[in-house]
Amino acid sequence: MHTEPSRPHTLTNFTVSLDHLRGSVLMMSSLTQRNLNNSLKGLMERDDDWCNNSIADDEEIDMLEMQIDKEGIDVMSRFQPVASDLREVISSIKIGANIERVADQAVNIARRARKINEHPEVPELHLLDELVKMAVSMFDDAVRAFAERNAHLAVELKARDKELDRLNRELTDKMVQRMQDDSVNLPTYLNLIFVSRCLERIGDHAANMAEDVVFAVRAEDIRHHAK
Amino acid sequence: MTSIPEFSRRPLELADDFAPGEINFMKVEDFSFFYGKKQALHGINLTIPSRKVTAFIGPSGCGKSTLLRNFNRMNELIPCIRHEGDISIHGTSIYDPSVEVIALRRRIGMVFQKSNPFPMSIYENIVYPLRIAGERNRAVLDEAVERCLRSAALWEEVKDRLHESAIGLSGGQMQRLCIARAIASRPEILLMDEPCSALDPIATAKVEELIIELKKEFTILIVTHNMHQASRVSDLTAFFYLGSLVEFDKTQKIFTNPAKQQTEDYITGRFG
Repeated sequence: MHTEPSRPHTLTNFTVSLDHLRGSVLMMSSLTQRNLNNSLKGLMERDDDWCNNSIADDEEIDMLEMQIDKEGIDVMSRFQPVASDLREVISSIKIGANIERVADQAVNIARRARKINEHPEVPELHLLDELVKMAVSMFDDAVRAFAERNAHLAVELKARDKELDRLNRELTDKMVQRMQDDSVNLPTYLNLIFVSRCLERIGDHAANMAEDVVFAVRAEDIRHHAK
Repeated sequence: MTSIPEFSRRPLELADDFAPGEINFMKVEDFSFFYGKKQALHGINLTIPSRKVTAFIGPSGCGKSTLLRNFNRMNELIPCIRHEGDISIHGTSIYDPSVEVIALRRRIGMVFQKSNPFPMSIYENIVYPLRIAGERNRAVLDEAVERCLRSAALWEEVKDRLHESAIGLSGGQMQRLCIARAIASRPEILLMDEPCSALDPIATAKVEELIIELKKEFTILIVTHNMHQASRVSDLTAFFYLGSLVEFDKTQKIFTNPAKQQTEDYITGRFG
């Protein structure tokens, strides 16, 4: 992935600290991408080992979230950033919090997957395919928008989140119908609804990250807009 | 001649909620200034509202102090200078033949980088501008001393030693004494040229607190190299570079989302 470096400051340490903070956010993103993929593999391939890996690795991400907060506070107290630098620090801290929640959703998916794996496979599992593809690509693009300081890509994500919400509603309706028709597999259908809900939340967090990228790059607050 | 950026020609549009104060209190129009053949300011256009703090920032040699010293025509003490354009206060040009320089300077107090108390008592420092204006009434002088020292947040610290030498005060107290003296003749405008650069952080905080308090009564122009000070105390900030006004806007805007790349680069420490 191409990453856009910080423009250098007269004070080299300032640039180094900002780059380090940025590096921590990117490191946290890539670990979360790995955990999310592991959880989804565990779900789709019905393999608990992948799920267990994802759950175990979450602690590392929690640590990184705290490290990002610490580094952000350190930059603010040592260098008192203003303008684009201040926005970058604030956004990095907020993006760190959103990534941590995506990682939590990956853990939730892994836990639900283990429960689903206890029961016979149902063909409805693959109704999730489109949601998985969309949630993963939204998170990947939110990370890419941050890395490339690409506000244009970030703005697009807001629209994609609406589509993901729609897919989640559709899947929930279908599962409710299946629960009525096939009560034997009711726990699996219920868990699929929960997984779908996790994917929808990942889309929300990706959209939040996109908003923070737009704020960092353009100084625009696009939250809570009707469009 | 360096071309004048379009931005500096546009008057700043202040929102209505920016009141109270007179929006067009001081006007700088197409103002250029020369030290001999060297041009220090290039066609500056600036509208400064009353009872606000306006900060001038920019790297050394950008012309901010030169402009500040033109408001009270202090630059005229330097030989071989000349200006083009105009500066007006309340709609009257400060270069109007009817304007007396002494009277103008009485309307405009000034505080310098290094505190410069006179080698006399605290009391005499404050009443000095009143005495040279002919004031002899003891009650008036006493009232002025208390009023100015209270305004400068110094009264409680010095009220029991008013007749001791001002030289015995700490650096921060001396600077606040100079501010008290600057407001003794009830000016409308206070010019401050790096007023805190020689002070420790606590003394700086006291002077900054004072600046915010004083803007209720005075229009304050401050030149500072400390950008965080500009962001803490000022309502408006003007960024100068190589004798031109690059950007002038509300301080909050300048320090969160400046319109010009040069301003962004300067305030974020990428040059200067």
